[in-house]
Amino acid sequence: MIRSALVLFFLALFGVLRLPIESRLSEQHRSAYFHQAQLELGLREQVGQLGFLAALSGFRSLVADVAFIQAHVAWERTEWGRVFLLFREATTLQPRSVMFWDMAAWHMAWNASVAAMNDSSQPNEYLRRKAQKEYFALGRDFLERGIKNNPDRPELYESLGRLYKDKLGDHAAAARCYERAAALPGAPEYDKRFAAYELSFAPGHEQEAYTALRQLYDLGEHERLPTLLSRLKYLEAALNIPLHERISPSEK
Amino acid sequence: MSRSGHRPFSLSRIGALSGNTFTELVRLRVFYFLLIFALLLIGNSLFMARLSFQQEFQVLKDVSLGAMSIFTSILAIVATAQLLPRDVEDRTIYTILAKPVPRYEYLIGKLGGVLLLLAFSVLAMTALFFAVLFLREHMLIAATMRETTGMRPEQIQEAVERLKASAFNAGLVPGIVIIFLKASLLAALTLFISTFATSNIFTVVVMVFIYFIGHLQSTAREYWLQEHGGGVLVKIFVAFVALIFPDLQLFNLVDDIVAGTAIPMALFAKTAVLGIVYTSVYIFFAWVSFHGKEL
Amino acid sequence: MIEPAVAVNNLTKIFPIPFRRTKLVAVRDLSLEVAPGQVYGLLGPNGSGKSTTLKIILGLVSPTAGRTKIFGRDSREVGSREAVGFLPENPYFYKYLTGAETLRFYGKLCGLGGRELKTRTAEMLQLVGLQDARDRRLGGYSKGMLQRIGLAQALIQEPKLVVLDEPTAGVDPAGSREIRDLILDLKGRGITVLLSSHLLAQVQEICDRVGILAHGILVREGKVQDLLSIENQTELILEDATPETLAQIAALLDKSQTRLIGQRHPQTTLERLFLEATARLPEKE
Repeated sequence: MIRSALVLFFLALFGVLRLPIESRLSEQHRSAYFHQAQLELGLREQVGQLGFLAALSGFRSLVADVAFIQAHVAWERTEWGRVFLLFREATTLQPRSVMFWDMAAWHMAWNASVAAMNDSSQPNEYLRRKAQKEYFALGRDFLERGIKNNPDRPELYESLGRLYKDKLGDHAAAARCYERAAALPGAPEYDKRFAAYELSFAPGHEQEAYTALRQLYDLGEHERLPTLLSRLKYLEAALNIPLHERISPSEK
Repeated sequence: MSRSGHRPFSLSRIGALSGNTFTELVRLRVFYFLLIFALLLIGNSLFMARLSFQQEFQVLKDVSLGAMSIFTSILAIVATAQLLPRDVEDRTIYTILAKPVPRYEYLIGKLGGVLLLLAFSVLAMTALFFAVLFLREHMLIAATMRETTGMRPEQIQEAVERLKASAFNAGLVPGIVIIFLKASLLAALTLFISTFATSNIFTVVVMVFIYFIGHLQSTAREYWLQEHGGGVLVKIFVAFVALIFPDLQLFNLVDDIVAGTAIPMALFAKTAVLGIVYTSVYIFFAWVSFHGKEL
Repeated sequence: MIEPAVAVNNLTKIFPIPFRRTKLVAVRDLSLEVAPGQVYGLLGPNGSGKSTTLKIILGLVSPTAGRTKIFGRDSREVGSREAVGFLPENPYFYKYLTGAETLRFYGKLCGLGGRELKTRTAEMLQLVGLQDARDRRLGGYSKGMLQRIGLAQALIQEPKLVVLDEPTAGVDPAGSREIRDLILDLKGRGITVLLSSHLLAQVQEICDRVGILAHGILVREGKVQDLLSIENQTELILEDATPETLAQIAALLDKSQTRLIGQRHPQTTLERLFLEATARLPEKE
């Protein structure tokens, strides 16, 4: 009896000693982007019993994979509700997988939205558009949450930029997204260009766009792609840039 | 025959005990079945459903590392739980302790044998895992070369680089080392529990319980430290969990490594040292508990 | 004053029974000594405290009161077991090891190694007659073979003291005989033997001294001969005595204080009869 009490006491003592060390280590782990999946009761509702158990045992990545594969199957069956739920499960369990967030947004904003717009069982066009907009919003939500969990990865900013550009028609916002992407390590070189292009399409941002495009142009031959040149010329005309500052008209 | 007098700490005695424990465990059929199962699982992922190469590699890595994680955890608990009870039941422990073998050497030797077994298993599984990964990577590179014959060399290079990055990431080996350390922590804790447990089953059940609670320990700890509301009873319960149970969540790094998160060396080193500290402390507790045990 | 091989001084061991108020007194104020080179028998029925006493001597259990020493060193020191070999009752060893591997394991625990270990292993296997089974796993050994490998591991480091707990329990008469011969052989080499048994007849032939335990108390102790001899009786064994000679002896006794109590043909023992009868059958192992 005494021995058990002593054992518990020493265990607790060990616990007290390691408490600050582990707290700090946990914090450091989280700063390095580990353990983003929060283990709380809300998780249980979102991911179901199996997912919760897996999270408790440390196999959440595997369960996330299964959810992802199931989402793929649901997509083939155009069961959009299930696609959404399964992707929510996968991204909750594995928030560091850029691919999950990206695919989730793609399915919502590009696939489900189109299906909603073309839904032959819904005669009311207003309602169809409303559903489409909701799917756009779901897609954007996935990307934004994905970015929150993966602020060090350019891919999600790029996808968000594409979403603003193609689906929401907000070129200024798209430009901001590409700018953010370009600032991150490992970003492809075209992100800067895309940012500038989008600015050039955004009404009210012509001057800013012109400055950005001109800067890129001045960097050299590798930046002087057809799109850049055409947008630059368009802006030169729109802003009435003095002739001697314009790029050579022979460049096409 | 007189020898040079009793040495209080003998590596050769511990080595004999470890080697003996390892041999005994390795010759158990159960071990072979478990290992073959794990190897099959890893090898089978070679044929898993292909979505895109990134998805394939992710699934392959998740399955293999998941199999490794669960196998080593189960093995650590099950193999260690029966070590002491069997020796006591068969009275073999008397023959060992009647030799000039201090009790702490006996415990270290037993744990050493289990750690050898775990290391051997991890190496075997890692070898197969890397082989499968390497094979798939090469098959896919060959396929990519075929598909991109018309493209610019930089583009082909970029495609191949992206493929390789999906396959092997630098964090895999540290992640596997941490899996091993988590298993050794569990083995040491199991040994400790078995010194006062009433039966083999009791030890295993308690360890399963500890395993699950251990993954929630960090949540309990944060809750306790941040002083959320809740009655006194809740606070006591949460404090109890935070202090008594190990934080196993710290050793689950592979989930995030597979998703591409890199592990800084300093962080790996700290986590590894923590694992070693846990193992040492638990075996110390095992000795304290076993030291005065009536046999 | 020669240091005794084993010294037990006022040993008491009390086991608390969990969940009950009463305690179990296994050994009560026991004192005895085993001189070097002796064969000492600790006798008594099951539950008399024999095993507990042996375990305390070997440092496996700690005493509640009193001390035990081996060659002058307290049993609680690990070093006191440098020169001791122990064979527990009904031992099992690691099933998946072979006979030779088992001996090598125990040898290493005693600090043996290299060529010395190899030689000792071979010697011991020879001594207990298990050379043919040296590479067979212990899982396939018979009970007698397990007992013999147990003896071999107890002797692996050439101990000065050998402790045997019920060495002949459950062993067939031929095996028993071999074990007894081995014990006498050890004694011949100057090795002290401390054994416990409840098979009294078997032990009678080999022990120099015995201690009889009952309920943890030493009720009798001393040299076998002294304890067993019925002081006031004398046994004469005559060969080819004629009825006339016997009548003369009877008449002689009538005239003195001596009383003739009995007269009959001496008997061989069932054991000797058994051994003679079975000796002619070929040995199978």
